[in-house]
Amino acid sequence: MNRTFFLLIFIAPLIAKDIFYTRSGQVSFFSSTPIEDIKALNEQTTCVLNMETGDVSFRIPILGFNFKNGLMQEHFNENYLESDIYPDAGFKGVINNWDQVTLNEEPQLISIEGVMTIHGVSKQIKETGKISFKNEKVNGTAMFRIIVADYDIQIPKIVRENIAKVVDVNVRLSLKKK
Amino acid sequence: MIRILIIIIGISTTLYAQDDLLDLIDDGFENTYPVNATFKAKRIVNSQSIEMPKPRILDFMILHRFGSMSNGAYDLFGMDEAVIRFDLKYGLSDRISFGIGRSSLNKTFDIFTKVKIMSQKTGYRSFPITLVFFSKMEIETIIKDMSMNDRITYDFQFLLAKKFNRSLSLQLMPTLIHRNLVETNSDSHDLISIGVGGRMKMTKRTSVNFDTFFPIGKRSETYRQGWGIGYDIETGGHVFQLMLTNARGSFESEYIENASGTLEDLDLYLGFNIARVFYL
Repeated sequence: MNRTFFLLIFIAPLIAKDIFYTRSGQVSFFSSTPIEDIKALNEQTTCVLNMETGDVSFRIPILGFNFKNGLMQEHFNENYLESDIYPDAGFKGVINNWDQVTLNEEPQLISIEGVMTIHGVSKQIKETGKISFKNEKVNGTAMFRIIVADYDIQIPKIVRENIAKVVDVNVRLSLKKK
Repeated sequence: MIRILIIIIGISTTLYAQDDLLDLIDDGFENTYPVNATFKAKRIVNSQSIEMPKPRILDFMILHRFGSMSNGAYDLFGMDEAVIRFDLKYGLSDRISFGIGRSSLNKTFDIFTKVKIMSQKTGYRSFPITLVFFSKMEIETIIKDMSMNDRITYDFQFLLAKKFNRSLSLQLMPTLIHRNLVETNSDSHDLISIGVGGRMKMTKRTSVNFDTFFPIGKRSETYRQGWGIGYDIETGGHVFQLMLTNARGSFESEYIENASGTLEDLDLYLGFNIARVFYL
């Protein structure tokens, strides 16, 4: 009896949990000022969801953001997000009241809470999103705003009129079972 | 006893669960990304850099060189005089760009193109260097009565660059300059040289740059090795480049093969480049 339990202690964590994931999640952002609009799309976002606990983890490679304007992309990496020092943005958190969420085809509102890390700065955030389950896949969407100054991203005076202080972020994911 | 074990199981699983979920799917997968911004501008100081206009971007550049500093305060270190060159370049794709320019020195027109052959990449399919082929045709128009053939000079360069880290980039430039017209019979039509250039970033938006060209083979007695040191300041869509150089002209046959200044009597030139981009 005891032996079985000891075995369980060591083996239980090693047995593959119910994990859903993607490596091609979409994260886009958009900012608008009277002078110019800035938008970029990243389709290389990794996201993992633990179906037992509702824990989620994101890794968003900064170099994976594609801009229509190549010079903006270069400045985004070189001057603002400094992707050579901070190659990834990330989020680690949990879906609130996960035990009360039953997934079905209908997207349902959830709230998600955790630590967002951008440009090496971590910040506790709480946002809402929608989640559904269809064709063996967990689909999630979220829209929220980021205040650029919260993450120590400095915008020089000379381009302050061109770059918005608040950025709209859009997340779209389709997770498959591991 | 059983209860304690269940608690331990619970604790151990939660402990494991606190490990990053991302590790659970880690299989060494890595994306590949091209290396950005090896240099700030399309010139290092005088010389061409591997940077070219991004697709659908028009790049306008003013290259301004004052007169020789050798007269000192009399003409404010050469600032009373100037030679100026304008150029417009356009990015056709990630790999091809072309442009036209005109310099007041010898009233020289030029057309040029840069073709990216390979680019430096990081990640899964990483590649260590960027290789660009640069070619230019210069047409001198200062003398009205001259055959078209005699006006032309060709420049060919391979630009090999590596961005070592966020601050340091270096570039090697094997160069061939072909002059259709030479001053004396003993002068060679074809001149080969190896250029070296680099930049060291000081802050996120400024850097110190240098470049020079080492001659291969014989040169005339008046030949001086061309060099320049500069300071780049980038502000959004603009790049300002301040410089000190021993070459008066800012096109290839001038700053590589016709640099005249020497350090001894401060026969050098101050200058600046301004680059501005337009999105088309």
